[in-house]
Amino acid sequence: MNNWRLIRLQCRFELLRMVRNPYYIFWSLTMPIAFYVIFTRLVTGTDAMDAGIWQAHYLMSMTVFSVMGTAIMNLGIPLVQERAQGWAIYMRVTPLPGSVYFIAKMFVQTVMHLLSIIVIFTAGYLINGVSMAMWQWLSSGLWILLASAPFLAIGALIGLMKRVETASGVSNGMYLGLALTGGLWFPMEAMPSFMQAIGQWMPSYHFGSGAWAITRAEAPGWEHIVVLTGYFAVFMLLSTYIRKKQQAA
Amino acid sequence: MIKQQPGDPVAELKQVTKTFGGKRAVDQVSFTIHRGSITAILGPNGAGKSTAISMMLGLASPSEGEVLLLGQNPRSLEVRQQIGAMLQEVSVMDGLRTREVIQLIRGYYPNPLPMDEIVRLSGLTPEELKQWAVKMSGGQKRKLIFALAIAGNPELLFFDEPTVGLDTTARRTFWNTAKQLAERGKTILFTTHYLQEADDIAERVLLFNQGRVIADGDPKDIKARLTRRALSFISDQKPESIRELLPHTLGITDLFVEDGRIHIVTDDTDGTLSVLYREGVGMRDIRIEQGSLDEAFSQLTTELEEAN
Repeated sequence: MNNWRLIRLQCRFELLRMVRNPYYIFWSLTMPIAFYVIFTRLVTGTDAMDAGIWQAHYLMSMTVFSVMGTAIMNLGIPLVQERAQGWAIYMRVTPLPGSVYFIAKMFVQTVMHLLSIIVIFTAGYLINGVSMAMWQWLSSGLWILLASAPFLAIGALIGLMKRVETASGVSNGMYLGLALTGGLWFPMEAMPSFMQAIGQWMPSYHFGSGAWAITRAEAPGWEHIVVLTGYFAVFMLLSTYIRKKQQAA
Repeated sequence: MIKQQPGDPVAELKQVTKTFGGKRAVDQVSFTIHRGSITAILGPNGAGKSTAISMMLGLASPSEGEVLLLGQNPRSLEVRQQIGAMLQEVSVMDGLRTREVIQLIRGYYPNPLPMDEIVRLSGLTPEELKQWAVKMSGGQKRKLIFALAIAGNPELLFFDEPTVGLDTTARRTFWNTAKQLAERGKTILFTTHYLQEADDIAERVLLFNQGRVIADGDPKDIKARLTRRALSFISDQKPESIRELLPHTLGITDLFVEDGRIHIVTDDTDGTLSVLYREGVGMRDIRIEQGSLDEAFSQLTTELEEAN
């Protein structure tokens, strides 16, 4: 019961930090919307798809791109910063349980993902009048929220790094690399076959594919769920192993 | 709740050793800190002071031995609700103003100090409270870190090198506030390598060197034990004849003439003087000099280095 008070307190202040974070606003909201405008209004889509389908497809790509970025960058880099600056150690002296600290981080992360989904979906509706059935909007939003778990695990893994510069470089590189190879910027079909072969194994491709399927009124395929769950398990095991090793040192 | 009386042990180290890669940072250290006391852990850099504090705060586990705070494991929640700490090299989280950081940390404790009292004791100005916490200067940050340490109204306060980087005025203000807290019955344990600070503030000094406690007691006693006392006077008698009058028991380590004065370095200036009077040595302009703790300190460290 006392922990509820602490969770509310910690969430309140973490939310305050979130809305004051200019990087979040720029990378997770402005950038994807700008890309969306460029690739659906200024540069017309591939001939293979009709405009309406392309606009809904690319809206999903950009929402997935945004949420993936928030998951990787806004979790990992601050974790490294807080440790490098001695704040994480100080927190261990205070009576705040580590679990509350973690819950608040996850809560704010979920709020950010939800906000990205709502803002970018709304932008798609306003910019291109993207129309889908209500169940499609809701289930694609839910898919993006849930399937972000492996990317949060990547963020947690990056959060174990020692230096802020390394963490920042690695997360930027992974973010952009995953976006490109997963077909979030350009559809997989438009890429050379060797890129397609690589992309098939990227978590970002399976993240996007689930949402793309919903825009075609299909359920996300099992292979997407299996691959994403596999990545999630591997990243979690890896970060648990590294943390154990770091604590032992 | 942990209920305690004045004088009860609040921190106990029992035969504590901490090894880092084969090197003993803290070596078989035992001591007890009593409630309501101000204790300085004094020692040169690398003496093991911060490692000892880390173990008391539950940030590091002893390789051997046991550390108890308020009779419990330092990591327990009940203990953490009753301690406050100023650590070295702590920078606060970004995206929050100074006042907000204090509000957040205050909220972690069951019976925190009122906000205005934290502000008054820390000396943070209304402008500083509105500032972004990460944008504060070194001195301002120390004030904030101090504010955070006292925010929870803890019984036991740890200050690890609290005045490093502060100017003389800020340092004096800091210690005045610390003394006020001690008057309220708070227990204060601080590390320093400023000898004057340990001497001025603490009721008890634990002198650390190379991971061991090499002296433990009242700062005055430690000083008396460590410092070279010297007696000097002007006399018409020859130094050699004076030397012959003084028995070994007085612990005379040196006798020499400088600027026309005879200097006698001894453990016992009172005893030496009474012998000289008894023997009827004619003395004028008698002075007793005592080295500072700083001198004692460097002397001691050198002696230990030589011994190795």
